[in-house]
Amino acid sequence: MIQNGKVLRTRPSFGVLIVLPLLLSLFAPIANADFAQEEPTGTEPGDIWSDDYNNMIFPWASENERILQFKEYHTYDTMKTRMLRLAEDNPDIFQFHEGMNGGTNARGEEVTANAYEGWFYGHASPWLKITGDVQDGEYNPFVGDTGNYADRRDVMIVGNHHAREWMSYTVAIMQMEVIAFSYNNIGYDNDGDGLIDEDPWGDADGDGILDDDGDCLRLATSPTNYQDSNGDGTNCGPGDLGVDEDYSEQFITDLVNSREIYLIPMLNVDGNIYDRDVYMPGQCPNEEAWDCSAAGWRKNLRDNTVTGVTPIPDLDESVDEGCDGVDLNRNYQFEWGAPLGATGPLVPGACYAGQNNDVYNGPVDDTDNDGDGQINEDHVDGKDDDADGVTDEDWWGGNSEPETKFIQDLTEMNDDTGDGSSEFKATITHHSFSELILYPWGHCTDCQSPDHEQLKYHGQQLADMTQYANLQSSDLYPTSGDFCDWHYGVHGSYCYTSEIGTAFHQHEDDIDHIAVRNIGTGFYIAEIADSPRERADLAIANISQQNYLKAGDKVEIPAEGDIPVDLCVSAQFPYSESQSKIEWRTVKPSRLQSDYGPREWATTPWQSVDVNMVEGESCSLPDGNGTVLRGMIPISETAIGKLHYKATLSTLSGSDLFQYPAEGAYYELDLSYRAAYGSFIGSLFMFGLTATFVWGGLAVCLRMMLSDEEEIDLAAPESIEIEPSEAVLIAENA
Amino acid sequence: MAEDSDQFNGRMGLIFASIGAAIGTGNIWRFPRMVGANGGGTFLVPWLVFLFIWSIPLVIAEYAMGKRSRTGTIGTFRIFAGKKFAWMGLWTAWISTAIGFYYAVVSGWTIKYFQLGITGALNGENVDTTEVWNAFLQNPGQVIFFQFLVIALTLAAIWKGAKAIEKVNFYLMISLFALLFLTLFLSLWMDFSDGSLDGALFMFTIDFDMLFEPEVWINGLSQSAWSCSAGMGMCITYAVYMSKDEDTVLNAFTMGLANNSISIIAGLAVLSAIFAVNPDPLGTVTEGSSAITFLALPEVFAQAPFAPVGPLFMMAGFFLALSFAAMTSMISTVELCVRNFVDHGFEREKSVALTGVALFLFGLPSAVMWIKLDDSGVAFPQFLEVQDHIWGYGLMFSGLFIAFSIWKYGYMRWKSGVEAGVAPPGFKGYLGFGVSAFRDDFINTGDNDIIVGRWWDLLMYLAFPILFSVLMFSYFADMIANTDNVWSPTNPNGLGIILLFWGVIAALFISFNKFLIRRPLYRNIPKGADVDISSLPGGDDELVVALGEVAPGFEHLSKEYSIEAELV
Repeated sequence: MIQNGKVLRTRPSFGVLIVLPLLLSLFAPIANADFAQEEPTGTEPGDIWSDDYNNMIFPWASENERILQFKEYHTYDTMKTRMLRLAEDNPDIFQFHEGMNGGTNARGEEVTANAYEGWFYGHASPWLKITGDVQDGEYNPFVGDTGNYADRRDVMIVGNHHAREWMSYTVAIMQMEVIAFSYNNIGYDNDGDGLIDEDPWGDADGDGILDDDGDCLRLATSPTNYQDSNGDGTNCGPGDLGVDEDYSEQFITDLVNSREIYLIPMLNVDGNIYDRDVYMPGQCPNEEAWDCSAAGWRKNLRDNTVTGVTPIPDLDESVDEGCDGVDLNRNYQFEWGAPLGATGPLVPGACYAGQNNDVYNGPVDDTDNDGDGQINEDHVDGKDDDADGVTDEDWWGGNSEPETKFIQDLTEMNDDTGDGSSEFKATITHHSFSELILYPWGHCTDCQSPDHEQLKYHGQQLADMTQYANLQSSDLYPTSGDFCDWHYGVHGSYCYTSEIGTAFHQHEDDIDHIAVRNIGTGFYIAEIADSPRERADLAIANISQQNYLKAGDKVEIPAEGDIPVDLCVSAQFPYSESQSKIEWRTVKPSRLQSDYGPREWATTPWQSVDVNMVEGESCSLPDGNGTVLRGMIPISETAIGKLHYKATLSTLSGSDLFQYPAEGAYYELDLSYRAAYGSFIGSLFMFGLTATFVWGGLAVCLRMMLSDEEEIDLAAPESIEIEPSEAVLIAENA
Repeated sequence: MAEDSDQFNGRMGLIFASIGAAIGTGNIWRFPRMVGANGGGTFLVPWLVFLFIWSIPLVIAEYAMGKRSRTGTIGTFRIFAGKKFAWMGLWTAWISTAIGFYYAVVSGWTIKYFQLGITGALNGENVDTTEVWNAFLQNPGQVIFFQFLVIALTLAAIWKGAKAIEKVNFYLMISLFALLFLTLFLSLWMDFSDGSLDGALFMFTIDFDMLFEPEVWINGLSQSAWSCSAGMGMCITYAVYMSKDEDTVLNAFTMGLANNSISIIAGLAVLSAIFAVNPDPLGTVTEGSSAITFLALPEVFAQAPFAPVGPLFMMAGFFLALSFAAMTSMISTVELCVRNFVDHGFEREKSVALTGVALFLFGLPSAVMWIKLDDSGVAFPQFLEVQDHIWGYGLMFSGLFIAFSIWKYGYMRWKSGVEAGVAPPGFKGYLGFGVSAFRDDFINTGDNDIIVGRWWDLLMYLAFPILFSVLMFSYFADMIANTDNVWSPTNPNGLGIILLFWGVIAALFISFNKFLIRRPLYRNIPKGADVDISSLPGGDDELVVALGEVAPGFEHLSKEYSIEAELV
């Protein structure tokens, strides 16, 4: 007999190798699935949130990327690199541009792409076109972008009109990061507390407290005051840990899919580079900008010294800090040059030699814009000043700078619907500093715009979420030729100026929490961009807030057929039946259910059903009876699991994103099996069939087998004694 | 000099061992869940259809291969697919063994629950089954003890080889039948006593709308593929012990039908009991399998009639049956591994011991690591779940490798036939001669009562690749669609981790192939059996010899030489 076992000693490699893969089992990766059990409790941030969140480590970059983590400021170059990277990574929603192609603009002028390039450094403002399926939709040859859809309103978000206002472009960049990270990343747990979407921007539940989920308010205030993590003196204010920290990714996704967002983080590239690289180092050579007492460079870099009022770019000449540059936010044409207060130049278009006029609004335009032989006879103010039947056709000045021309042409060359007016119905421009929200007008004091109440309403919403002060722009100080007066005055766009933070060059340590504090405003503007006036009217009259969708525990599931879900709409609400819908999806037990793990679910994509007004039924609302809009959700009687549903309501005039129960949220309904468990006859038949096939088949097999050979009685003890060879013999003899 | 081959005593021994391998916890705890989640009787249709077009044909192939090669999986692929493909057998053996690591833990749970059931710990008004479960799972000592117990029992059963295996399986299977029938009787009693047999009705009523849903068919296929152990190498292994003139086809049918019979009995017992007392029976049966088995069923059984004897019987009987089902599968898993060692010249006792130690050590992480609580506060072993996630679908490839060997053989035979002038050339010739070659040469050998017709070729060449693709594609597509971060290898529920582990294992095994084929392979050939392998790709392999013969170049493996080697 060969002692085969000896092989183990002579050649151990075989045994070792065959066992080697077993070791692999031990290298299974660390489990990263956390299972939520209950709301976290505790009085320190570490008890509630993830370490990343507590240290303001944002999920879109690794911890050591200080700029992407908003621990250091972006420069023009890092910003552009990041924009390109995000556009490359998110080609469905982001499209990168610099300036525009040009062509014939809305005023009939021929413009080339270089008209939008900065005077000094020669860069056009980089910007992102953000919308769902941005690579599809109409192509706009002048602007150069695709993703133009007639049914999507346009939103403009502009940062850094003024070079030294560094938080103003930082907030816009953070919005870009948030969109890139959140789009279609539904249900992300931003703060790592195991809950999702529990605290959106602003005061969602209307109780006057920003911290909707109350997690910040649970923190201890002594010995360490955890409630004021940003140290601004306000406990659980915006920008503090745990406040507005877990917004709905679904909401952001819906917004991106229904709006065209034009995000221009750094309009004044020339000025920004100059402020950072030349001006501030010149003022305080060995100090960081925030430690320097100098205010910083504000304007763009128009060369005012050499050629006076009609300059030609002179790139060889260095900047004359005493005279050069134009305040871009005084250079828009609406009521341009109206000499108001201390901020306007005494002589419009003039430069004060030897002293820096920070609010110089650009040269006077003495060309005959309409070719009628007269000049400056009809100022841009929305009125027909010379009563010739044409409005604003020959202006006095303004719009002389590459940056303002860019904004003007981008605004005026976006008319997706072809109705002759700009698509931009809501805009925001970030500035710093003062912790203010400003709305038009700016050019007149003691005056109110036709939309004053409505503008003030939305301004208050922005102010509530940032805890800034809401003011009419001219109540701070009068200005002429600013972005918002022009956008509102000429294009009817609800335009807001947010004055962010407490310094031009805000201290580096404060970048992250101030950016977080202001991140919601850009999204709010995008949301109301469909019809800001109507939204304000409905909200001021407390109409839109009353509408509600029947909650899960109120919905009655019929014994058979579709499940009716009711939307109760105020009688004052101008709903559009055809544009409104109820979206639903189901959560079913997953086919991937593991035998040993927790229950797993599979979620179907959202589908929508139409809603129909139900005659003769009403529902109760605080202001009386409302109209019932019913959607019939087609759920099979055999379905089990959960039903998720939410409603989107549109108005007749096109406000399209009234979401119920709340932005990005939905209700849940438990589904139980409603069908009969079975029929007697049917089951009898199937039982017969199964029994015939399985048991009948088995019987046939066993019969064949037994008739083939005698079964050896395994239970008989003697069978153990049968030697193998004998057993084979027995089998052979049988 | 010659060592005797190791055989089963008789046909029933093989049948019982095969059925034991096929019947596992999948029949008893997975099947009712699948029936519940897929429209009751509707599910039975695809499940039955796939028994005949997937499971049984594969089992026939396995028996045929094992009966001819007379070696375990590595040797079988070395002989049937050729020297270059011995690693396929290693893959098959590894997947089965890797599953065995955690399967021993799971089997331990069932024994623990039998203990709880027989001591009455699960009966009574105030028993919170979740608490009992959590307390058990979170107690590493307990879990390890029962895991150890299972391995010890398994090793004891297979220590002596085929004879012992068949005997143990015989007793366990007979008891399993009896216990399941007892449970079924009590279940039906319960279900009927509330007025209607709604559990039974549900299980046998077809919902014609659902019948046309692809998901139901895919689920039917996967249940049929897993619960029958078809294509997983078990039947190759047991066929090694077949007596020489045994009927592979009849055995395959018997095994498949017996497996499904047990499923029906267990399904009926579980569903009837749950429908009898649970207010939301379908919500309950679609939860995870362990949740049904260890949380829902004890609650249900506690309400059995004839208290206190009824509940005690039902509880203990069911869990004893479950543990028997698990044990017999455990036996086949270990045997599959051991057989491969023995084929390569290792002593049986040492192989068994080595496998046992490996099973215990490598099962430990599954037993005690990452015991988590899910959303509803129920403990589950995440490491074990991840192991199942990684290796579960690897089984499919074992089936694919078997089909590959068959395809390869057909093509090879046809080509050499054409060269020899005995086979018609051209595609038509291939279809006529090549496609049926495996069936002609290895299945219809004359020993079988049922002659396998052209249908088997159709299923192996056409249905198998289609169904395999559907199964893999739908599984991966589902996973990609429903899992966040699915490609990251750090996500234990993702696809990345599966591909990573498969890739590493496959690469390792392929590179290891050359060491495998340098070793002699000892075939377990019964006297007088027709085991000619000369027409096979591995037929000219000089190192493939019958047990007791000496492989050329390995004459040094004589007793004297071994002792010398020991002395040195």
